[in-house]
Amino acid sequence: MKIKPLIFFVTLLLLSEICHLRSKISLGQTFDSASFHIDWGNFNMTSGKKNSSNYKLTDTVGQNAPGQYNSAGYVVKSGFQYIYDKIIPFSFSISNLNIDFGYLVPNIGSTATNVLTISTPTGHGYEVYALASHPLTTIGTNITIPDSLCDSGSCSESVSGLWTSNSTYGFGFNANGSGTSSYFTNTNYFRQFANSSSGEKAQICMSENVPVENHTATITYKVLISPNQASGYYQNSINFMAIPKY
Amino acid sequence: MSSFNLTLSPSQVEFVLKPSVTIIQAYEVANNSSQDIVLNTQILPWVPVGNDGSVSYQQAATSSDLDFSLANSDLKIGQSFILKANSKQQIVLKIKTSKEISLADYYQTFFVYQNQDPLNQDNNFSQATGKIGSHILLSVSNTENTSIKAKLESFKIFPKIKDVFFTPITFSGEIKNDSTYFFKTSGKIIITKNESPVKEIELNNDNVLTNHYRSFSCVDSCKLNSPLWPGKYQVTLKMDENLGIADSSYSFYILPISPILFVLFIVGIIFGIQKIKKLKKQKINLK
Repeated sequence: MKIKPLIFFVTLLLLSEICHLRSKISLGQTFDSASFHIDWGNFNMTSGKKNSSNYKLTDTVGQNAPGQYNSAGYVVKSGFQYIYDKIIPFSFSISNLNIDFGYLVPNIGSTATNVLTISTPTGHGYEVYALASHPLTTIGTNITIPDSLCDSGSCSESVSGLWTSNSTYGFGFNANGSGTSSYFTNTNYFRQFANSSSGEKAQICMSENVPVENHTATITYKVLISPNQASGYYQNSINFMAIPKY
Repeated sequence: MSSFNLTLSPSQVEFVLKPSVTIIQAYEVANNSSQDIVLNTQILPWVPVGNDGSVSYQQAATSSDLDFSLANSDLKIGQSFILKANSKQQIVLKIKTSKEISLADYYQTFFVYQNQDPLNQDNNFSQATGKIGSHILLSVSNTENTSIKAKLESFKIFPKIKDVFFTPITFSGEIKNDSTYFFKTSGKIIITKNESPVKEIELNNDNVLTNHYRSFSCVDSCKLNSPLWPGKYQVTLKMDENLGIADSSYSFYILPISPILFVLFIVGIIFGIQKIKKLKKQKINLK
């Protein structure tokens, strides 16, 4: 019974001696006291995300061999801050789903807005498409408001145009904010919604080629009906589709 | 005020798989809004368009040799489900390739979208709905390491001659994929002057899809900022060995235009002052 602890102790001593002899160079950190010797893989003294008004910094201090290492077919990103690359997931939000134009009356314009917000992970930009179910329609009587052709009479679901005139009637939208400048020159430029009921395909209204975090664009819906159009409540459904760039 | 706020992860998955196999991919859908939402799922094929990672769903054809289904016991593709406010749900997608499937790439998007409530007269308003997608890049192959045929379609430096100050030098280019399977751009732009390194710009690992092309992007930006010393600069585009694209070298020139103009301006002012002084002296002498 007394031999067992002795064998255990000798084995432990031999094993520790073998381990000690095996490697002369240690890349980890060690802590020593009179009674203890602790080996650590690495000793991270600080790491995390730091922000100021103009800068964002992610850091790892104390990590062994931090950095990016490339070889044919492989990329190794060593160091805790690289996990922040992956932290931003692909997210998409629409601030208000109820687009309320109120009771539409000829020659009195109505606008409504909501905000699209998007975040994309490392390595990906994004595209947001817009598609309406059909033109603005009165439920039951099916009277429709035509899409606006803008002041020049030439805007469409894929081309925006200036719409400031009070005598230009119809329905259209503007997008203003991140990733919209390729599609709308400014807030006075409008486009028609592509209508799925007419077989039209969804059109891009917001896109960027780089990863983004909480980028927003305000969608302004504008409707102005002519004296020939019946007053009333007009409705349709508008779908916004967000996809990452591959 | 009702709102749509969804997170879908991962935003993209890439697989190399053999014919007649089934793989499983778990997605997490999070409803970040304070209201329950009725959702649905959909798979759509796409083709690449343009050179910046855009896609088109219009020209893509569905392959009957690819079968998508959900492994969730209570859910099928196209079946509505409720996701509670501020909660998450795992959706497990099963992808099965048929025995007869052609060895090629297949590109799809897995969509999670909000169900459309029927419009009714009581509401009196239009409704917006949201849809979010995650791309699936599939390479069906009998070997894991697919052969790559890549080509540098173009490489541009703008401007090629510039002043030491002001605007940066911008690098751009396109990589073409002439092979059956997609690959990733990998490499760097090395800028040297008198054989001394000035800067190395790392390229992003962008996907170049089969028989398509892609403009490369850089980890930070594909720009070399001013000020720069005058002289001839050498630019080498060094792509990953696997792509089989030979290193290509280009050059641009930095000229001390603004310093020369500044010196000429100062000299002109000095000459002008001296001339005015001379004229004044001559006038005094004449008097």
